[in-house]
Amino acid sequence: MSGYRIDGLGRVDRSRRVNFTFDGQAYAGFAGDSLASALLAHGVTLFGRSFKYHRPRGLLGAGAEEPNALVTVERGGGVFTPNLRATAVEIHEGLVARSQNRWPSLKTDFGSINDRLGRFFPAGFYNKTFMWPRSFWEKLYEPAIRRMAGLGDAPTVADPDHYAATYAHCELLIIGAGPAGIDAALEAAGTKQRVILIDENAEMGGGALADPALAAWLERSLKALAEAPNVTLLKRTTAFGYYHDNFIGAVERLTDHLANPGPQSLRAPREQLWRIRAGEVVLATGAIERPLVFAGNDVPGVMLASAARTFLFRDGVAVGRNVAVMAAHDSGWKDACAMARAGMGVAAIIDCRSEVDPALVQEAESLGIDCLIHWSVVGVNGRHGVKSVQVLHHDDFLDRRLPCDALLMAGGWTPSVHLWSHSLGSLAWSDDWGAYLPDKPNEKVRCVGACAGKWSFGSGMNVGHLETNRNPAAIKAFVDFQNDVTAKDISLAVREGMKSVEHIKRYTTNGMATDQGKTSNLNALQLASAAMGKPVPEIGLTTFRPPYTPQTFGALAGHAQGPLFQPTRKSPIDSWAEAQGAVYEPVAQWRRARYFPKPGEDMHKAVARECLAVRERVGIFDASTLGKIEVIGPDAAEFLNRMYTNPWKALEPGRCRYGLLLGEDGFIRDDGVSARMAPDRFHLTTTTGGAARVLNMMEDYLQTEWPDLDVWLTSTTEQWAVIALQGPKAREVIAPLVQGIDLSPEAFPHMAVREGTICGVPTRLFRVSFTGELGFEINVPAGFGRHVWEQVFAAGQAHGITPYGTETMHVLRAEKGFIIVGQDTDGTVTPHDAGLDWAVGKKKPDFVGKRSLARPDIVADGRKQLVGLLTDNPAEVLEEGAQIVADPNQPVPMKMIGHVTSSYASATLGRSIAMALVADGRARVGQKLHIPMPGRVITATVTDTLFYDREGSRLDG
Amino acid sequence: MADTPVRSMPVPAEPAVFSGVTIALAAPCARWSLRARDAALLEKVTGLKLPRKIGEVVGETVCLGPDEWLTRAPAGATLPDGAGEKVAVVDIAERALTLTLSGPAAARVIAAGCPRDVERLPFPYASRTVFEGVEVLLQRDAEDAFTIEVWRSFAPWLWTALTQAAADMEHLPA
Amino acid sequence: MILIHCPYCDEQRPGLEFAYAGEAHIARPADPSALSDEEWERFLFIRANPRGRHHERWRHIHGCARFFNAVRDTVSDKFELTYKAGEPRK
Ligand SMILES: [Zn+2]
Repeated sequence: MSGYRIDGLGRVDRSRRVNFTFDGQAYAGFAGDSLASALLAHGVTLFGRSFKYHRPRGLLGAGAEEPNALVTVERGGGVFTPNLRATAVEIHEGLVARSQNRWPSLKTDFGSINDRLGRFFPAGFYNKTFMWPRSFWEKLYEPAIRRMAGLGDAPTVADPDHYAATYAHCELLIIGAGPAGIDAALEAAGTKQRVILIDENAEMGGGALADPALAAWLERSLKALAEAPNVTLLKRTTAFGYYHDNFIGAVERLTDHLANPGPQSLRAPREQLWRIRAGEVVLATGAIERPLVFAGNDVPGVMLASAARTFLFRDGVAVGRNVAVMAAHDSGWKDACAMARAGMGVAAIIDCRSEVDPALVQEAESLGIDCLIHWSVVGVNGRHGVKSVQVLHHDDFLDRRLPCDALLMAGGWTPSVHLWSHSLGSLAWSDDWGAYLPDKPNEKVRCVGACAGKWSFGSGMNVGHLETNRNPAAIKAFVDFQNDVTAKDISLAVREGMKSVEHIKRYTTNGMATDQGKTSNLNALQLASAAMGKPVPEIGLTTFRPPYTPQTFGALAGHAQGPLFQPTRKSPIDSWAEAQGAVYEPVAQWRRARYFPKPGEDMHKAVARECLAVRERVGIFDASTLGKIEVIGPDAAEFLNRMYTNPWKALEPGRCRYGLLLGEDGFIRDDGVSARMAPDRFHLTTTTGGAARVLNMMEDYLQTEWPDLDVWLTSTTEQWAVIALQGPKAREVIAPLVQGIDLSPEAFPHMAVREGTICGVPTRLFRVSFTGELGFEINVPAGFGRHVWEQVFAAGQAHGITPYGTETMHVLRAEKGFIIVGQDTDGTVTPHDAGLDWAVGKKKPDFVGKRSLARPDIVADGRKQLVGLLTDNPAEVLEEGAQIVADPNQPVPMKMIGHVTSSYASATLGRSIAMALVADGRARVGQKLHIPMPGRVITATVTDTLFYDREGSRLDG
Repeated sequence: MADTPVRSMPVPAEPAVFSGVTIALAAPCARWSLRARDAALLEKVTGLKLPRKIGEVVGETVCLGPDEWLTRAPAGATLPDGAGEKVAVVDIAERALTLTLSGPAAARVIAAGCPRDVERLPFPYASRTVFEGVEVLLQRDAEDAFTIEVWRSFAPWLWTALTQAAADMEHLPA
Repeated sequence: MILIHCPYCDEQRPGLEFAYAGEAHIARPADPSALSDEEWERFLFIRANPRGRHHERWRHIHGCARFFNAVRDTVSDKFELTYKAGEPRK
C-alpha cells in the first residue's frame, strides 16, 4: 500500500484487502475504508470537477458535509447512483466508481473553459440570462448549459432494486451516535422507554472514531447499548427530515456496502424508509468545521483540519507528508499537534489572529511546527494538488512561499442545526461560536453536545475573507464549493440590491440544492455582513429544508413501486375479464375492463361489435364498481328528499328513481339510480368515482346539519357484485336462472327492483337501463359475483351474449344522451345546463343546492348547455375536449363558445356522434358550429342529445 | 341449476408463511354493520351485547364509533334487520374479507404500512385505520395475533403489500 | 405527519386517518329561499381565512368516522384543541 497509510493508526481492518476501481484505475484499500480514505491512501487528490466552473476539486471534508467529491457508483447492468459523497461510500470488493462533471477525463476537462470565462457567469447569471431574447435562451443557452451543468447524470434504466418502508414508535429518538448521543442513549438504556439511536455512518462513534483516547470507552458503550433490550441501533441511517409532532424521516442503507448482495430476487431491500414517531427527540448531530475564504481555497489538497484528523485517526491515512494549517480557531492548533504527534509532517500553522494562546504556540513549537501568527494564506500553488502556499504577514503585506503538500483550514465550528430548524426550533446567535445555536424548541426536543454549543473546541475569530494583498476583483475565493459561489458573488449580490439573506441565497445559489449550506452558510453570512455593514444577527439566516443529505427516490417511495405503486381495486369479476384478455382502463382507483378484443381487433372494431351485440341481442357488463349506499331509518325518505333534487317521499317500495345530487352551489356532483327496498330502507347507487365523495357529503349533512334525523348510511359498494345484462334478449337469458321473481313486463316494469334468487344466490334484481335497451342489473353478494356471471354467460351463449367494457357502455349511453358526471359535467354545470330540469322537484321547498339555482349568474343568459353535435362528415369523430367556435374566419384569438365533452363512432347509427357544452346551446339547435383543429376546421350541426330510439320503444325488449 | 354456488376469493387460500409471521385468509363469515343512537335499543333488536367504548371488543362485536358497531357470526347466521325501529342493520358479509397475521413478527409487518403504534395496542382492541393509503379494520386479539379486515377490492393489493413486507422483514434484523 | 386528538375516540391519532372539512360553525340556513343573494353569497363563499387561530372541521374518516371541530393555529400549524360537533364555538 502507498506511503500515505500510517502504520498503527485507524480502525480499518488491515487483514482484509479490498479491490476497487476509480475512473477505470484499479486500487486496493482495506475493509472499513471509505472511497475517500482508500484513494487518499494512494495519494489521489483530484476527485471531481466543480458544478459551474469545472474546477478541479479534491476532498474538503471527511463526512456528510463533503461538497466536492461527488462520485457515481456503478450497480451493474447500466444501473448507477450519481452524486454520492466519496466520504460516505464504503468500499467493497469490486466497487466501480467514477468521477463526474468532466469530459473526456477528470484531468483534461473541456468544461473547465468555464473557469476562464468566469466573468461571464457572475452571480445571478441564470436570472440575467433569462432576460435576454427568448429565442437565444431556447436555441443557444439552454442546450449549452444543459450539456455543461448539473451534478452527475440521471440514471436512464429502471431501478432493479426494491425498497422497504416502516413506521416506528419510540419514547426517545437520538440522532447522532457521537459521544453526546451515545451518552444520552446510555442514560436511557435499561429503562422502560423504547430508544432508537441512529447514525449516518457505517460505524457508530462520530468524533470518537477519530480520537484514539476514546476508543476503549466507545467499545464499552456500544456493547452496553447493543445488549440493552430497549435500545434499537440503526447505523448507516440518515435522519433527513424532522416533521410535525416529532415525526422523523430516516433512510437506512442496507445493501450498497455489500460486495455481493445476492441475486436480485433474493436480495434484501436496498434501503428502508423509517417513519419514526418519537415522544422525545435528542439531537446529537455535532458540528461541522468551517472552511476559510481566500484565493485558491478550492485547490485539491486544501481541506478542513478536522477532516485530515479524521482520515488520520479513523482511517490511518495521512492527507500529506508535509502539511500546513491555516487557522482562525484554536481547534486547528490542537488538530495539528495531535497529527504531528502521531507522526504526520506538519510544516507550519498560519493563524490570522494577532494573538494565540501561548500554550498552544509552545506545544506546536515543541513539535517543530513553524508558527506564523497574524499571517494569512493569500494563494495556493498547484492545480491538481497543493505544491506550496503563499502566506502574507498582516503587518508588512508581503507574501512569501511556504512549501507544503496539503493545506488544512480551521475556520471555527458550525453546530449542525439542520434538523432543529426543520422542527421550527428558533436559533440564537452566539458570539463565542460565531454561529447560530439552538434556542427555543418548537417540539419536545433537546440538543446535546456540539450541536447544542456544549462542546469545547477552544476559541476562535469570526472572519469573512482573509486578509489579502491582491485585487479582490481578480481572485476566486470560494464560499460554497458545491454551487461554485465565490466571495465576489456575495458582494456583487449585495451591490446589486439583494438585502435579504434569502435573496442572496437565491441570487448566488449559496447554500442551495443538495448541500443545504453545511460548510458555506456562516461564511456567506460573514461576507454579506461585511458588504452590508451590518452585524450577522441582523441579517438573519436562510431556512434549512429537508432532506439533510440527498436521498434516493426509491427510499422515499418505499414499497410503492411495481404492483404496489398504488392500490388497484379489482372487482369480483376482474379475474374473469383478465382471463378473457380484456383491455383495462383506470377509473378512480379501480381497473375496469374497457373492451374485450377478439384476435385481430383494435378498440374501434371491438367496441363496434360489442355495441351492435347489445342493440341486437344481449351484452353482459361488470357494473360492480358503482358506488352503493344503504340508507336506513325512519327518516330515510326525508333525508334523501333533502339531499337530492328529486322527490323521494312518494316512491313506492320496489320502485327505482334516477337521483341527481348537487353541491350547495347548485352544480351537479353525482347521479345514480336508487331503489326503495322498504319504507325505511333505500339502496342508493352513485358513480364509480363519486362513491366515497358522496358518502362523505351525505355523512356531513347528517352528522352536522341534520343530526336530528334518524337515518344511517352504510357503504355497500363492495357487498354487491353488479352484473348488467342489456339488450332485447336479456329477459330470455335470465329467465331460467331466476327464482322467486316474476320477470314479465307487467309484474316487473322498467325502474323496478325485486328480491329473489339467481343461480341459487340471493339477489336484488334491478330493471334499469343505461343503454336504452331492455336491461337488468343483477346485484349478488360479491363472493358469488363471478359464479353468477359465469352462469349467466353460459346461459346467454344460446342468445349470442357478448361481454362488453366501459368504452361500449360509454357509446351506448351517449347514443341515448345519458350524461356521465365528470365527463359531460365539470363541476360548473347545473341541472338546467345539462338538460335535466325534469329531474328537479319543482314543488320541493328545499334541497341541497336549490337556493343556488336562483343565483344571478346561474339564471343569466349565455351559460353553456349540453347539446348534441353531428359532424358534416359522418366518418369524422371529434376529439373530446376540442374547442368550438361560431365563426371559423374570425381573427385569432378566436372566441371559444364551448367544447366537446363526449365523442364516439356509433356503429348503431353508422356515424359519429358527440355531446358538447356550448354557450346558449339549446337555442342553437340546427346551427352549424366549427371545431378548429391543427390545419383544418371541422363543421358540425347542433342537435339535441338524444340520438337513438327517440320513442323509447326498446326498453321493453 | 344444480350446482352449489361457488365462492371466489381475491387472495390465495394458502397461507403465506414467513419466519416470525404467517399471513392467511380467514374463513368467510357473516358480518353486519349496526347503527343506532340508543345502544340499548339495538341490543334489544339484535339480542347482542354491545361494547360502549370505541375500540372495545366484546365477543364478536366491535364498537367502531359513537353510534356504530360491527358484529360477526359464522357464515350463514342471521340477524333481525330491525325494520321500523330507530336502528340500522346492514348485511356486509361480502364487503370485506379478513386476513389473519400471527406470530412474533406480526406487529412489525403491520407497522410497515400502518402509522398506529401497533406494538403498543392493547388487546382485545379493534379500530379502523390505514395501511399506506388503504382503509383497514385492524384488530388485535392477543400479543401475537392480529386480524386485518379490508374491503374486497383492495385485498389483492393489501395481500401483496403484507407478504412483501413480511418477506423484507426476513432480511432485516429485528 | 401531524397527530390529531379525536374527541370521540379520545385519542391522539395519526393525521393520515383524518380528512379536513373546511371552516367550522357555518350553519346551513334553515330556509335558504328566504335569503337574499348577498346573504346566500356570504354563506356559500365567504370564509374567515385567518392568520392564526382558526376554527375548522375535521373528520376522523378512517377511524370513528365522526366530523368534529378543532382550533388550529394557521401559522404554527399546531392544534389548540378539538371538540365534538354540535358543541359551542371554543
Ligand atoms: Zn375518532
